[in-house]
Amino acid sequence: MGGFPILTVMTFLPLAGAFLVMLVRSATAGGKGNGGAEAGKTVLLAGVIISAATFAASVAAFATFDRDQAGYQLVEQYAWYGPISFKLGVDGLSLSLVLLTTFLTPICLLASWNSIEKRVTEYVIAFLVLETFMIGVFVSLDLVLFYIFFEAGLIPMFLIVGIWGGKDRVYAAFKFFLYTLIGSLLMLVAMVYMIIAAGSADFEVLEKFTFDPGVQTWLWLAFGASFAVKLPMWPVHTWLPDAHVQAPTAGSVILAGVLLKMGGYGFLRFSLPMFPDASAYFQPAMFALAVIAIVYTSLVAWRQTDMKKLIAYSSVAHMGFVTLGIFSFNETGVQGAIFQMLSHGIIASALFLIVGVVYDRMHTREIASYGGLVNRMPIYASFFMLFTMGNVGLPGTSGFVGELLTMVGGFQAATWAAAGAALGVIFSAVYMLTLYRRTVFGEITNPALAGIKDMNLIEWVCIAPLAALTLLFGFAPNLIFNFTDSSTLRILSMMAGGQ
Amino acid sequence: MLPDSLLIYIVLAPGLVALSGLVHKWIGDRTVMVLTTAVVLSAGALSLYQLFAYVAGLGGAAAEPSHHAGLDAYLTAGVEAAGTELKQHIITLTPWIHVGDFQANWAIRVDTLSIVMMAVITGVSGLVHLYSWGYMSEDPHKARFFAYLSLFTFMMLMLVVADNFIQLFFGWEGVGLASYLLIGFWYTKKAPNDASIKAFVTNRVGDFGLALGIMAVFFMFRSVEFAPVLDAIRTNAVITPYAFAEALPAQESVIVFFGERVYALELIGILLFIGAMGKSAQFFLHVWLPDAMEGPTPVSALIHAATMVTAGVYLVCLLSPIYEHTFYAAGMVALVGAVTALYAATVGMAQNDIKRVIAYSTCSQLGYMFFAAGIGAYEAAMFHLFTHAFFKALLFLGAGSVIHGMHHEQDMRKMGGLAKFMPLTYAAMLIGTIAIIGLGVPHTLIGFSGFFSKDAILESTFAGAMANVSFAQLAFWFGLVAAFLTSFYSWRLIYMTFHGPAPHAAADDHHHDHAHAHDAHGDHVHDHHHTPHESPAVMLIPLALLSLGAMFAGVYFYDAFVDSQNEAFWAGAIYRSAENHVLHGRHDVPEWVIYAPLIVTIGGFLIATFTYYFNRGIGKRVAESGGPLHALFSNKWYFDEIYNATLVRGAAFLGNVFWRADKKVIDGIGPDGAASVTNLSARLLSRMHSGYLYHYAFVIIGAAITFGAIMWLRAGGAN
Repeated sequence: MGGFPILTVMTFLPLAGAFLVMLVRSATAGGKGNGGAEAGKTVLLAGVIISAATFAASVAAFATFDRDQAGYQLVEQYAWYGPISFKLGVDGLSLSLVLLTTFLTPICLLASWNSIEKRVTEYVIAFLVLETFMIGVFVSLDLVLFYIFFEAGLIPMFLIVGIWGGKDRVYAAFKFFLYTLIGSLLMLVAMVYMIIAAGSADFEVLEKFTFDPGVQTWLWLAFGASFAVKLPMWPVHTWLPDAHVQAPTAGSVILAGVLLKMGGYGFLRFSLPMFPDASAYFQPAMFALAVIAIVYTSLVAWRQTDMKKLIAYSSVAHMGFVTLGIFSFNETGVQGAIFQMLSHGIIASALFLIVGVVYDRMHTREIASYGGLVNRMPIYASFFMLFTMGNVGLPGTSGFVGELLTMVGGFQAATWAAAGAALGVIFSAVYMLTLYRRTVFGEITNPALAGIKDMNLIEWVCIAPLAALTLLFGFAPNLIFNFTDSSTLRILSMMAGGQ
Repeated sequence: MLPDSLLIYIVLAPGLVALSGLVHKWIGDRTVMVLTTAVVLSAGALSLYQLFAYVAGLGGAAAEPSHHAGLDAYLTAGVEAAGTELKQHIITLTPWIHVGDFQANWAIRVDTLSIVMMAVITGVSGLVHLYSWGYMSEDPHKARFFAYLSLFTFMMLMLVVADNFIQLFFGWEGVGLASYLLIGFWYTKKAPNDASIKAFVTNRVGDFGLALGIMAVFFMFRSVEFAPVLDAIRTNAVITPYAFAEALPAQESVIVFFGERVYALELIGILLFIGAMGKSAQFFLHVWLPDAMEGPTPVSALIHAATMVTAGVYLVCLLSPIYEHTFYAAGMVALVGAVTALYAATVGMAQNDIKRVIAYSTCSQLGYMFFAAGIGAYEAAMFHLFTHAFFKALLFLGAGSVIHGMHHEQDMRKMGGLAKFMPLTYAAMLIGTIAIIGLGVPHTLIGFSGFFSKDAILESTFAGAMANVSFAQLAFWFGLVAAFLTSFYSWRLIYMTFHGPAPHAAADDHHHDHAHAHDAHGDHVHDHHHTPHESPAVMLIPLALLSLGAMFAGVYFYDAFVDSQNEAFWAGAIYRSAENHVLHGRHDVPEWVIYAPLIVTIGGFLIATFTYYFNRGIGKRVAESGGPLHALFSNKWYFDEIYNATLVRGAAFLGNVFWRADKKVIDGIGPDGAASVTNLSARLLSRMHSGYLYHYAFVIIGAAITFGAIMWLRAGGAN
């Protein structure tokens, strides 16, 4: 221990920023009636700066991280209560997800520049609080701490969907709530059991503790329920399309970019290392669910008439590859799964931003309302094409590497699973190209589109970095693999040790 | 020979200049056109120089080994395998994907196969760039067009110089992207958009097989690089696949696929060939190619005739060690190739769109290449790929010249008598036609390119039939009938287009589809007088150069590709097992086999001449009488209709069912069912401003209390 508590600082910086924003706003709240829009911009700018500072902090953590060393690093531990401690630490897996989080949050706030007009202060606070909780999930090395972050993060997410969402936001939030509640309660029970059995909530202790195979099955199911909802896996995926459709653009970005990854992270952090026998036992079932998710939701995506719903279903399909890779239990598959999570975090986020660009102008997500955008928005069309290709997994984009490696890994475990997943590669081309063609190509038929403007500066600043990363990780994925390599091998060795 | 720096230039420079299209607003369309054309032309000149120098060096190498000639001069790595020494030179540029055993680099692999392909790709592409200066001169999106062309060239080069399956896949899908973008180049129109999606998706079906094949390769060989995999197969080395305890020699190893134990090489060969079928438009997966003709004609010449569609043939030849040691996979290649050769020729006879005739002709010629490779005559397949690139690009660019001259008319029924309006185009098309029908004098070196390559294929195939190679007998007869049909439809095209009366001069028929006219010519097209005109020099020069290739590529490269020098020429890049003698066996076939192609070709010519030159009405009457056979052919054997009714509608039906299942079944049992139970509390809570926040917070607090209680109890218990 000792040294600068960089992880604590990074985790709580957004929360501190949120307090600051709250204080400053209440201090100046006297003139709430006038200059609302102007003040809103200032608050948003403050939010962007705070989250950018958080990103800088995470980059600092990244800089001191030794990628060749397996196990947790930058560990900070403070006694809390009995077996529970405040313990933070990262490995390649968690730090890469932290970086994804801190990278996306400023983009989200910036993307809200013109689209959020009511209750801007609360909006910024919600996002900053959410960021703390999301980072906390990835850096926690204690079950209770993890649980608190994991669950608490849902509150700001509810607010974001419930207050700044579309007209059916209550239904969507309710659905979200119900699914997550059931998953969380089961996980809570399992956690209590684990802490009592192992006498500690410390991940490193739990990883070494061997649970009885019969018990593992139950623990695995309890944790798995929560992660399956988060990921989401078929058939507990139906909350996602509704949540996405109702959420504001930035909410969708966080949902697809970070929250879904908590499911994959959970499987890798808990299910494989702590319940290896149960994980092996459930492998065929997980493969089956992964393949169903890929084929089923890809076909459903094709039938959608709402742009966001289409991309939401496509997310479920892409997370199916993550499941496939994780449960292949080999280096190729797990590395592929981690990569796929990061890649999807970039590409799906970008696609939601892309939808947001035209939604802000037209206030509709109906595919049929568009068509011929290329004639008015050539730059937009180019970016959209890039992310479309990323989503269909074209080599040269990051989408390809994740899909390929998860399938290669899956093939080693079960050929049928890889073959089923590969069908998704065909279907993704069908629904994405159809979407692109209906919105972007063709002549402009809707007169409302006649004056539509191409991307503005803020949209450029939000989307261009994601485009650059899509290509960078497509051509040089080793940047990530070198970084996640040792934690992958460590997880797999714990998995193998258990069996 | 070329130093590494120039090889890197050839491969990467087209990709870099393609990026100039992104900034055309600032640097101007013309700069993009000049840059791309100059780079690709220079790459073409270098690649062609490399090929010629290499072939010229072969003689010297044989006479005096120490003389630095042939590949020896700069090909360093040598692999001794099955008697042939593979000479190749690999430039590793940078790592790409490294995860455990999965090691794929960005690399440039130079061996005979890639030297040949580089020459074809950059040579034809350079000429197509040049030609497009004329053809696309009135298009408002020239920069985009040229950038796409260069992007395609780059991707295709990446495909053929890959030293591993993954970079090959990169190029493979990359050319698919370029093809998609170029087919749909006129993106405001419905037909090109439909065609571009169809092409991409159909190719994806093939890529499904290709990807699974690559996974199987990695599973068996623990590598995705060509050299270790192919060497293991050549030498029959013992390999240890991932989930297997037993290690077996490569050629006998088995894999469990969908619970069945099958020979690994057979499975790999079949899966990879499915990829080749998609890219090369073979039977079942051919449906996208005719529709791809919606793209601008220079694209059809480059991508859908000379280069991209031959990638499948290249793949099978590159992986000759796999197909040499398989029975079913090689048989499938031969069978599918033979069926395609015949099928596409029958359809080509009954088309009226000039580009579609040539498209089906391409499909058919690709079938020849495949069945040649399938029966073991890889060299003949590559030779036909090589000569075909010249004469098919020539025919397409010639057709483009006709379309340009006819103000974007593509229906041959509205043409006729063009020979006197466009004599140079006519001459070029005649040369292309004579080349594709393979006219030449047996036992001599007199003939156009197609004569050498097609006859090499047919004779080798007959030799294969004599050696009881599976499907060789069938392939020979199908190929022979297809040769007859090829001659018929090629001459039919010439007669309908260039001979007879000139209807366009008499009446301005405006009923034809002006689909392309707006984009390519602007709106003033309607004011044009519709007299056909000869194309400008910038379009005729490529035609002239390709004509040279169509005439002389066959005779010049015959010895190197398939005859006396072929061992030295291929230098192990193509592998033949010890039992495979089909290429040399063709010298022992009966005399009638050597004359048969010439006879059927003349037969086709005579019938076409009779029906479309001397009695121009007959063809039309046959078409109008609506016989079942004509209906079958002109409707492409109803493939589109069948696929629509089954696959497309089936998938849409499933999608709708699943979607409804989401709403009714999953939500009905899950949240909505639960909702009706908790409806009351939900309604109460929804009055609260932020909905479920408090509900949820309550749960969290409750959970924390539970936690605390348990901990407290536990602490108390410990005391």
